[in-house]
Order: sequence, then C-alpha cells, then structure tokens
Amino acid sequence: MKQMEANDYKGKVKPSWCPGCGNHAVLAALKKAMAQLNYQTHETAIVSGIGCSSRFPFFLSTYGFHSIHGRALPVAIGLKEARPEINVIAVGGDGDGLSIGGNHFIHAGRKNPNITYIMMDNEIYALTKGQCSPTSRIGTITKCNPYAWTADRINPVLMALSFNASYVARGYSGDIKQLEELILGGLKHKGFAFIHIVSPCVQYNKVSSFEKIKEIVRNLPSEHDVEDKINAMKYAFAPEGLYTGIFYKVERPTYEERYKEVISKAKELSGDNYTIKDVIKQFQ
Amino acid sequence: MKDLRIKISGTSGQGIISSGDILSYATARKGYYVTTYRAFPSEIRGDGKCYYTLRISEHKALTATGNTDILICLDEDTIYECISEMSQNGILIYDSDLVKDLKETREDIIKYAVPLESIAKELGSPRSRNMVALGIVVGIIKNLHLEEQILKDIELRYKNKPQEVIDSNKKALNAGVEYSHNKLERKDNYENVKMESTGAKLIMSGNEAIGLAAIAAGCRFFSGYPITPATEIMEWLAKELPKFGGKMVQCEDEIAAINYALGASYGGVKSMTATSGPGFSLMQEALGLASMAEIPVVIADVQRCGPSTGVPTKTEQSDLFAAMYGTHGDCPKIVLAPMNVADCFYQTINAFNFAEQYQVPVIILSDASLGPRRECVDLIDIEKLNIINRQKPQLSEGDIYNRYEDTYSGISPITCPGDLYGEHVVTGLEHTVYNAPTPAPEVHRQMTEKRFRKLETAAGQFSKAKTYGDDEANIGIISWGSTSGPVFEAIDKAKEKGIKVQALYPRTLYPLPTDWIKGFIKNKEVIIVIEANYNAQFKSTIVERCAHINKGMEVLEFLKYDGTPFTPEEILEEIEKVVALENSKHELTTNKHTHF
Repeated sequence: MKQMEANDYKGKVKPSWCPGCGNHAVLAALKKAMAQLNYQTHETAIVSGIGCSSRFPFFLSTYGFHSIHGRALPVAIGLKEARPEINVIAVGGDGDGLSIGGNHFIHAGRKNPNITYIMMDNEIYALTKGQCSPTSRIGTITKCNPYAWTADRINPVLMALSFNASYVARGYSGDIKQLEELILGGLKHKGFAFIHIVSPCVQYNKVSSFEKIKEIVRNLPSEHDVEDKINAMKYAFAPEGLYTGIFYKVERPTYEERYKEVISKAKELSGDNYTIKDVIKQFQ
Repeated sequence: MKDLRIKISGTSGQGIISSGDILSYATARKGYYVTTYRAFPSEIRGDGKCYYTLRISEHKALTATGNTDILICLDEDTIYECISEMSQNGILIYDSDLVKDLKETREDIIKYAVPLESIAKELGSPRSRNMVALGIVVGIIKNLHLEEQILKDIELRYKNKPQEVIDSNKKALNAGVEYSHNKLERKDNYENVKMESTGAKLIMSGNEAIGLAAIAAGCRFFSGYPITPATEIMEWLAKELPKFGGKMVQCEDEIAAINYALGASYGGVKSMTATSGPGFSLMQEALGLASMAEIPVVIADVQRCGPSTGVPTKTEQSDLFAAMYGTHGDCPKIVLAPMNVADCFYQTINAFNFAEQYQVPVIILSDASLGPRRECVDLIDIEKLNIINRQKPQLSEGDIYNRYEDTYSGISPITCPGDLYGEHVVTGLEHTVYNAPTPAPEVHRQMTEKRFRKLETAAGQFSKAKTYGDDEANIGIISWGSTSGPVFEAIDKAKEKGIKVQALYPRTLYPLPTDWIKGFIKNKEVIIVIEANYNAQFKSTIVERCAHINKGMEVLEFLKYDGTPFTPEEILEEIEKVVALENSKHELTTNKHTHF
C-alpha cells in the first residue's frame, strides 16, 4: 500500500474558491488528516451537495460525488451502508446542510452511520452571491433582506448534540492546526462525526469576517469532559464567545453494526445457503 | 361451471383482507387459477369499506373485475352497494343477526341469511365472523374441495400468533362449513362448480413480484419511505434482503430514499426505491441527477389517484406524464409498464438490466389495482433469466480514466469506489468526458447527445409490445399497464359476438416504441386508447408521435378516473358503441353513393 502524503490528494481541478476564502484551510487540513491515516484515494469518497464549499470533491484525487442541493448526507450514508469498507466523508455548507438538507442532518445523528460530516459555515449563501442563511447573524443585510434582519440564527453544534451525533466538534478556518486535529479525530471516530467549521466568506459576509470571528473564538477549557453532553450544550449555548474544540465524543453502535444484527437474525431463519429458489417457495 | 367470482365485503377491521388472502392462497395451492382485486380505505378502522374480489378458474383468467357470483357481506351497507353487480342466480350471503330487514328486492339472485354473529359468539370468538362466512362459501362450493387446504393456510398465516388464534379461526371455518351442509336450505346449484387442478403454480402480489425480481436481478440495496400502496415492496424486501446480506433502509423522506439509493448504486451495488405519487413527486430532482450523473437506479411507482394526496388506496394511471416528462431539463430515462403480476416480475428484471447497462434511472409504473393484488403466476425459471451487470473498464496504473467517455453506444464504462485507478467525481453539473464541470456550449450539446444516444442503443432490446386479438381487425385498442386483463377479456367477448378487435400493449412507454405503434395502426380504421386518467396521457403521446402514419384513422379515447379498475363489460360496451358508430358512418357514405 502506498504511503500517502497530503499532496497526493490534489485533484484534477484547481480550487475555484476566492483567494482568502476559509475553505482553502479546510481542504489543506483534510488532506493532512487523510495522509496521517494513510487513506488510499480509491478507497475514499467525498460526497457533497451544492454550494461554494460543496465543490470540494473536484479538488481531491479520491472518488467523489457532487450531488444536489442539500442531499450530501443521504448520498453519503447510502454509499457507506452499501460499501462499509469505503471511507466516506460528507462535506458542505450551512445553507446546504441546515436549510434545504436540515431534515437529513437530524436523521444522520439518529442513525449514527460511520461517516464524517464537515460543515463549512460562512453564515451566508455565497454561490448565489450573498443571501441570508440559517446561521446569518443579527444585522446581516443582503439583497434579499435589504431593509432589516428578519429571522434568528440556529446553532449547528447544539443541533448535532441534540440529534445524538456521537462526535461533535467545532473549528475555525483561521486555526488550521486545530482543524487538522479535529478532522483527524472525526475520521478516527467510529460513528457519525460532525465537525462544524466557521469558515468566513471574504466576498459576501462583512458581519462575520475573519477579524470579527477571531475576536470571539476561544478554545474549550481543557478540563471539559467530552462525555458530558449537558456541559457540551452549555458551551454550545455560551453567549460569551465561540468555543472551538471537541464538545462531545462517545462511541455507540453504528448503523452498520446494528444492521449486522438484522442480517444475522434474518440468516438464522434462512440459513447461509439461501438462494432465490428458496425465496420462491413462499409463493408456492 | 369452471369460472367463479367471489366477493367479500364489509367494514375495515372485519377481517375482509385476511379471509380473502387465505381463500386465494388455498385456491392456488389446490392447483386452480386465481386472480384477485382488493380495495380498502385509507383509514385502518372506522367506517371505510373493504372489498376483496377473487376469481377462481380452471384456465388462466385475466381479471377479477366483473359480475359477482357469490357475494359475502359482513355489514349492511356493502350489500346495497355491491348487489347490482351480481350475476343472475348469484348467491348473497349476509349476517341475519346484523341485518333484520333486508331492503333489497332483486329477485333473480339467491339470498342466504345466516346468523354469522351468533355462530361466532357461540364458539367464543365473535371476531371470527369472517371465517364462519368463509366456511359457508367453502361448504357451498364443496366440489372444489378447499376445506383442508384452507385449514393449512390458516395455520400458515397465523404461525407467529398464539395457538388459540389458529384454533378459533379453524373452529369458525368448520362451523361455517357445517352450517352450510346441515342447516342451509340450498336453493342454488353451485354444487356443480367443478374444476380440474392444473398443477403447481405460484401466487403472489404485484408488489411481491417486484421485490422478488429485484432480488433475482441482484439488487442488494433498497431505501424507501412508507406510502400506500407501495409499502408492501419495502416490507417484503425488509424481510428478504438481509437473508442475502443486502440492506433495506427506511429513510426520513422520499428525497432521502432516492438519494440513499443513488449513493449505494454509486458504490457499485444494484439499488432501488419504491413509492407512489406524492413520493414520486419528491424524487423528481434526484431522478435528474441520476440521469445527468449516469447512475443506475430503479424506481417503482405504484400509482394511486392524484394529484396531491388524492385517493391513496384507489387506482389510477395518471403518473404517466410525470414519469415520462417529469424532472426539469432534457432527461434520458426509461419507463416500463407491467401488464399483470407476472409481468411485474419480468419488467422489474428488465428495469435492473436497463438501469445497469445504460446507466439511467428506470421507472416501473405499477398501480393500486396491480400492486396489492394477488394472482397466479406460472412457475419462474430462474436459470433462464438474463441478468446484466454494469460494464467496467479495464484499468492499470498510469491509465487516464474518463468516466464519461463519449462512445458510439453512449455507454461509458463505470468504476466504483474501491476500484483501483478508477477515481472520479460524478456530478449533476454539466461536465466534460473527464468529469470536470463546465458551462461550455459545445460540451453541453455533446454530452446531452451522448446521454440520449444510450436510449437509441437500448431501443433494440426493449420487450416486444404485446398484441392480443385478431390481426385482421379494423378496430384497434392501444393501452398500457394494468388495464390488460379487462381489455383482453373484452376482446374475447367481442369475438364471441363476431366483432374483431386487436389490442397493443407496449411495455416500454418511454422512449416510446413508435415503430411498433406505427406498424399496429397502419391497417386500423379506428383506434381506442384506453387508460385510467382524465387527461388521456398516453393517447396524446401516441397522437403526437405516431398518428401521422395513418391520417384517415380515428383515434378515440375511453377513460376512467373514478379510482376503480376497468371491467371487461364496460370495455365491451365501448367497443360495441364504436362498432355502431362506424357502421352508421359507412351507411351514410354508402347511401350517398347510391344517390349519385
């Protein structure tokens, strides 16, 4: 098996993101994390929906599935359940994952598939040239809400915790070293790993710029117990700033593991040499 | 008498479906042919009415619809509702404990008032009224010798239930049989109903046939969301797929269901989903993705009355346009329409073969009259099935793999995760042959043509359109899907009256096999397009694509959109009307000639 290096994951297509976009750091961090785990390109698939960050798969040399808006998770889980031995990573933005695809996020947490979901949150719809997203902050004025801000923002980390995601972390594109650690932790985690990355848009979001995010970012205290979900929720709610690090990490059986029980119970009934001819017997 | 229609009706919760199922299994296992039709309300209990029609015959019957010979009513309302469709000298069995004063005056039928409730209560199981009634019928048609087989089928059906459930059902059946032998003052001659057993056959529902074919075709992944009347496919595969190491995943909605299937298929595993109208609407966007990204997937749409929630338990063929033209953009896909339960099996095999070979979404259009209905299917020879797998490229290190290679056939060899040197990104964006997104005009034109070229390649392999009836006929019927039973039977009846009619049933509806249709209409004077929708969806397609071949030909329509399936009688009536109309026109022309 080839010993992989970050550069081996460079895709055929050059990243089309704006210079200075937070997503460049995420791409670099993911490549490094994959190299550390020696992920082979043919055994790895990156699945995305639609949006700036969803262009991700094109910039990598692995298998990739650039699907439709909001559907990265169902495609990724379908792939993982059909081919459990493949490393499956879902990527996308806040609009893709929290708005149009929000329903799938809930059920991914519940099913606990063994995949990693990296959400690059720029708090704006950028590919459509700047409209409010579910995470846009108070005071964000766009062409679609030119006079006033009209809806509250939602809290992705808190959502993931309540949906029972088994690994919940938050990073920030300004700290690539921490990103790499968080992504590595997610890839290693057995179960649904959600990594929320605050990844500022340099073009359409002046409210949540690198500078402004930098002011509020702080590391989770080192004494935070990652198995304490209630405490994790308190930090996710914290008004005093934007905590980064691992909020929660507890392994429990994955969907694949639970389905193994289904298969073994079914096979108890049918035996191992069950064929289509045996199936037909029930219709005779 | 070698052909018998039995109808069991009542209010939901009275055991109509279970008694009908038991009777149909037992009949088939006895070696007779049986075909059925079920109608039930959307509510589980309450006032909704349930109907289970069975047609038992020595020779294969094509449809269960038509006049009822024996009607069993477990409530009062359905007596008045169903009695008009009874044949002369037919038997009505009703519960005299429930109906004290029968307000029905039809005198050409035989009425048996049986104290079903008292008999059931006496046995200590008032809920087994349905089995008492079934016993009465079995006693009446005693020369079919069904009793023993029904007792076996009761055991089979309730094998996971407590023994007392089995016992009480058996007792109730026996009590009914005994009553009909000893207490019923027989005024009928149904003792004469005798049939030869024609040997081993299979009995299954249209939905089960689709599930069975999926497994036979190599499908190992199903994702779905519950919806009437398609849920049975999902339930059946949930039970069977894990036995083959496959998976059935219940999803959060139909959008997830089809996208799970696309993910799994991208992983190289044959995948499908099944749904009905509302779910099919939700799947439209992903259907376009499958077409654009060239990912094989099979979608069964068990149609029900629409639009919107419509009438969830009743049948219609109104999703044809959605299947053919649904989803935005120029979207190559294949739409298949099985004609009966056996055809559900064979068209599903075709669906997987086409999906895998041509890397397109394939839609199977079943409906609420076909999906849940059980009928006999001739034995299936698994070894003779031709199963096709997707074409893989031969790759070695250093090779450049173009996922969307523009080939003569339009088919580009496909790899999946795990395959060495085959890495690629699939996308719903327009893309070059090496899967890079691009808005370039020449690329969009080239790739659109490449994707549609696959359908031209596929056209040579579609199942032949089925013809039925006289080649010499001037009157033609073109129809599709589940209407085949009543249409073929009406053609037989018309023949008895000296009217020649021929029917054509294309099994592939998109791309439309215009050659067969053109060949068929060439020497017809009049065509009746029969379908269960208001918009004449298939007729308009035929008129648009094919009618120019025979400009003198008239294209008529016979439509039904009340949620019930066609009956042979109403189709025959329509044929006779058309004949009368044509004759009067001919007379008119002939008269004109004499005058001049």
